[in-house]
Amino acid sequence: MKKQNDWQLWVLLLPALLYFFVFCYLPMYGIQIAFRDYKAVFGILGSKWVGLKNFSDFFSTYYFARLLGNTFLLNIFGLLWGFPIPIILAISLNQIEHPLYKKLVQTSIYIPHFISTVVMVGMLYLFLSPSNGIFNKFIGMAGGAPIYFMAEPGWFRTLFIGSDIWQHAGWSTILYIATLTGIDPELYEAATVDGATKGQKIWHIDIPHLMPIAVMMLILSCGSLLISNTDKALLMKTAANSARSDIIGVYVYEMGLGKAQFSYTAAIGLFTNVINFITIMIVNSVSKKLNETSLF
Amino acid sequence: MAARGVQVNKANTDKVFDRINLIFWVIVLVAILYPLWLIIVASVSEPDAVMMGKALLWPVGFSWTGYQAVFQHKQLISSYANSIFYTVSGSAISVAVTMMAAYALTRKFKGKKGVNLYIIITMFFSGGLIPQFLMNRTLGLYNTVLIMIIINGVSVWNLMVARTYISSAVPNELYEAAAIDGADHFIYFFRIVLPLSGTIIAVLAVYYGVARWNDYFTALVYIRDRAKLPLQTILREVIATLTTSTSDADFFSAYANDSHAISEAIRRAQVAKYCCIVVSTVPTVALYMLMQKYFVKGVLIGSLKG
Repeated sequence: MKKQNDWQLWVLLLPALLYFFVFCYLPMYGIQIAFRDYKAVFGILGSKWVGLKNFSDFFSTYYFARLLGNTFLLNIFGLLWGFPIPIILAISLNQIEHPLYKKLVQTSIYIPHFISTVVMVGMLYLFLSPSNGIFNKFIGMAGGAPIYFMAEPGWFRTLFIGSDIWQHAGWSTILYIATLTGIDPELYEAATVDGATKGQKIWHIDIPHLMPIAVMMLILSCGSLLISNTDKALLMKTAANSARSDIIGVYVYEMGLGKAQFSYTAAIGLFTNVINFITIMIVNSVSKKLNETSLF
Repeated sequence: MAARGVQVNKANTDKVFDRINLIFWVIVLVAILYPLWLIIVASVSEPDAVMMGKALLWPVGFSWTGYQAVFQHKQLISSYANSIFYTVSGSAISVAVTMMAAYALTRKFKGKKGVNLYIIITMFFSGGLIPQFLMNRTLGLYNTVLIMIIINGVSVWNLMVARTYISSAVPNELYEAAAIDGADHFIYFFRIVLPLSGTIIAVLAVYYGVARWNDYFTALVYIRDRAKLPLQTILREVIATLTTSTSDADFFSAYANDSHAISEAIRRAQVAKYCCIVVSTVPTVALYMLMQKYFVKGVLIGSLKG
């Protein structure tokens, strides 16, 4: 194309570049307060350098092990349960032959994804209420004593991950379904001629086709092992379940915005960012070796 | 392999497979749809029946009282209007900015590598909540309507999907043909790319729109004025807290002088929580239903080259 029109491309790019500058790069510049003792009156540049003090404060706090453990376990369990389910759903959905039934199933499994986190957590409170929630009604009918689900630390992870799967697993199938839809039908026909069963077709055709995209999704989720859905955890946290619901994101919100500990919590944010970045790099290079699939 | 008996066995295995698959999906569908159905049932049942946990399959003693309470809740209604405004204006800007950048990234130009890097880096590094908060406050965005509209404005993921979509949906020959007529990039973008991008625009509108409608964290961090709060923040007060007293107060403030009316209003507030869920979720689900046909196609084309 003509080179002299390049300026028009820059005009089209400008709003996006500006957006990333203001909302991504400016905050990166602000990360330096993690190494300073930020005082609003002095501004970012005027505040005193304190080196790694904020980091060592975090590592030595009583909460450190609990926060790190809770955050990591919540995410790793979430990944272990949540990652395979969409793949299984997509393969299984792909086997439904009746078009109308398939459509009904597909439409239904997407719906919960469109519910907000606030509503999702509200549903948990309503359904799990010890006095009139439906779960405790059923437990009562079966002769059991009511369970205070939202106040029981032992239930926190199960509820958090379970409701996440209920809400988003169906939606997460969309990429896998799109991939399966793109498989050349001749492959299945050839397999049928060779006498393959449905199970064999899944094993030898579907799964190998899904692998690259699955690995990519896995890499991406490994990059957030210390980043949880903070707003959901904030909504689900009660004083009684804090032994499990105290996670890094919630702590940063409470200490940073609630108690104005800006430098201290900026350090925590930077720490999680670095850990996540290292994790994603390691997983990416391992998968590159094993699989020849990688992000970059 | 070709022996007849084996063939028949295989057909049988497939039948068993289909049956198990069918049972599996019936269970999954019940697990997904029953809670949603339960909300709808509770929202139109008699408050007493809901509180006793009796409305489990069908509405018990049909009533609209919950919905009446919702529509009398002034803060809820004004926050609803706020959310509509934030969602519509914010998503329109997001879609426009994303499409423009996505088109530019499908073309060759000097400095493109640098632009790609500049964008990709933001996927892996971020300032984090606190530096972001301080920067936005310094820029004077704290407690403004503007922040509700422009924060989370461009998603890198959406941008990449749109870029892939455009480069595969618009054949190079079209550009070449237009070039002969002396077209420039603005003409390519408005006359060729946009008319061919209906599917991806629909997908982007749903992604951005739903994220905005459902976002409550931004307002929690940045908005202090109650008049600017979006729906989700008010919803949280009404349904997502264990202690219901403050939210219920809004529902019965109108009857403050009449103790009988107050207890009636408290009773009503229980059902109103379910009504709130229905009323707040209808727009996103409706949008999804409208745009549904575009999804798999849009994602399929958008993800081809990753």
